[in-house]
Amino acid sequence: MNPTAAQRFLENAALKSADLVHREIIRRGMDSYDAAHLQGRARIKDWEAARARCQEIKREAIDHLDRYLLQFEEQVVARGGQVYWAANAQEASSYVTDLALRLGVRTVVKSKSMVTEEIHLSRALENEGITVWETDLGEFIVQLRNEGPYHIVTPAMHLNRGQIANLFREKLEPGITSDDPADLMAVARRKLREAFFTAEMAISGANFLVADAGVVAISTNEGNGRLCTSVPRIHVVVTGIEKVIPRLEDLAVLWPVLATSGTGQGITTYSTMIAGPRLPGEIDGAEQFYVVLVDNGRSQLLADAEQREVLHCIRCGACLNICPVFRHVGGHTYGTTYPGPIGSVLTPHLNGIREFKHLSFASSLCGACSSVCPVKIDLHHHLLQNRRNATEAGATAWSERLTFRMWRLAMVRPWLYVLGGWWMRRALRMLYRLGLAGTVLDPMRAWNRHRGPVPLPAESFRARWRKDHAAK
Amino acid sequence: MPQNKQARTEKTSAGNPSRDLILGRIRQALLTSAPELSAPAAPSGRVIFEPIHNPLERFQQECIANLTECALTTDFVSSAQHLAKVLASLPAGEAFVQDDSALRRLVELTSPARSIRWSSEGAPREASQVTVTLAETLIAQTGSILVSASCGGRGASVIAPCHIVYATVAQLVPDLATALARIGQERKLDRHSFACVISGSSRTADIEKILVQGAHGPRRLVVILQVAL
Repeated sequence: MNPTAAQRFLENAALKSADLVHREIIRRGMDSYDAAHLQGRARIKDWEAARARCQEIKREAIDHLDRYLLQFEEQVVARGGQVYWAANAQEASSYVTDLALRLGVRTVVKSKSMVTEEIHLSRALENEGITVWETDLGEFIVQLRNEGPYHIVTPAMHLNRGQIANLFREKLEPGITSDDPADLMAVARRKLREAFFTAEMAISGANFLVADAGVVAISTNEGNGRLCTSVPRIHVVVTGIEKVIPRLEDLAVLWPVLATSGTGQGITTYSTMIAGPRLPGEIDGAEQFYVVLVDNGRSQLLADAEQREVLHCIRCGACLNICPVFRHVGGHTYGTTYPGPIGSVLTPHLNGIREFKHLSFASSLCGACSSVCPVKIDLHHHLLQNRRNATEAGATAWSERLTFRMWRLAMVRPWLYVLGGWWMRRALRMLYRLGLAGTVLDPMRAWNRHRGPVPLPAESFRARWRKDHAAK
Repeated sequence: MPQNKQARTEKTSAGNPSRDLILGRIRQALLTSAPELSAPAAPSGRVIFEPIHNPLERFQQECIANLTECALTTDFVSSAQHLAKVLASLPAGEAFVQDDSALRRLVELTSPARSIRWSSEGAPREASQVTVTLAETLIAQTGSILVSASCGGRGASVIAPCHIVYATVAQLVPDLATALARIGQERKLDRHSFACVISGSSRTADIEKILVQGAHGPRRLVVILQVAL
């Protein structure tokens, strides 16, 4: 039988937490992010006011989602672009694939887009014999390794320079001698330049869709997004319906907040606005411009008023970076497109609560994620709500239901509870003495397996309470 | 006109059955309103960004932080001299220049040794060593230049290893909000299909979070900022 997503998660979490090389890479990466993030926040005079403003903007957009999407569409269409609405991943991916085939596309360059990961677009294109190049350095690296992005902002942060140099030697240029990041970037640049200038189609994501101006806003540091939208003759934007914002001026606060939360920068190097296809008289830019608006579970999340604000997410990655669970188990362990706290909240809505409820339990509910979220999504409470929803949907295992039935039985019968506690203390002491702590026979196995046995109290809490307090 | 719009909308829906489905789902979902915010939203009057009192000074500071080379020049001739100096420091190869009368005069003064491709002759070639363009606006808050498709096209600011921008202080605005409001008011994006706020040279930190300057775009961004006309 194939292991379930939850079993795989536990297995990989155990492996990754014990992988010392991985731990060191992540620790260093997160240390430099933490420093940059704090510095970036200090540059904004009133960070809390900035968060509140961003929350307000996104809330307004989501509360009138239909109106703003139509306003955006109207202007893109008026400028000669086309807008396609896709209800699910399958529809979105076949639309783009059919389009590519119809227009005789043989090579596609991609600028970073998590939605295309979500709809498995590259695989669909490659199945039709189309060559797909990821052009963001991190995405390019994980593409060469045939794996998904490890992190939504820095896809290859789980690798060190030595591992990347080896990968490039094996897949690109056998003669590479340096593992200096600048030299490795130069190798990727040379390779991808060919791709930029041969590709007929570029596929990008969008950070924001601006309703009043009818503009797609794309933020990139490397300039790959710029080349994608300047050189090939066709540009397809694939993005989620929740990316719309009301006004162009909203970017004046969203751009700095996104950059600060994402990388600690004051603003992303290239904050690009694309209004449509190349206009008459312009010398470059795509002649054909398409925007694919992907629903894929988002309208269902919208219908959940309690968790609707999850659609406010601007995909900055701050909640991943601060999460103690992410820092230990790493991005790939989640086995989802979106890892970390936002992924744990979102994935059950996109892929089903039964298969992905375990992610909402893999949290201490410490609330660090909610405290850094630049649009103030109450992430850890949504994790708690997912737990409740999973239980209400009857998605819990029979063993768990049985355990809690017994617990309830004991809770309403004090004598049974006392007896149970008395028996457990003795039975566990015996078990420990026999050296069986952490084995399959140990009811505390989940904890004791990797740690010294939980110390056992000599007497019950009730007994101690009576002794220490009742006497006074 | 409204009839055209109607026809267009219908055409869109006809080839795209999911459009109405998704809009229907959204409208249905929004019948239930989201819970009120526990904390009041941004109280108006709170200042998010530090007010900018000296835009020129702030622009220069931010350029240093962004690794943008900003050179202040006093007049047209000294701008040309600086341009000549930057061009002389670059490897041989074609220069791509936005076809604009001021830039033509400027380039004439530098009498460059390299061949020039004007934007009126087409898009910049992949092998261009340097591009020279104007900007729409300079933004002090973030040390950025705002370009549009009218500044030599889309590729002009990203294809070559070095991008040189010639601007005057009159183009400097204090912050992003002012720059974006201006684009909105003038409906600039109806006339140009592209605009970009550029804040430094292209860069990546995808390997071990170490900053590498010069990723897919320019390694050098030079702003020649002329204080007087």
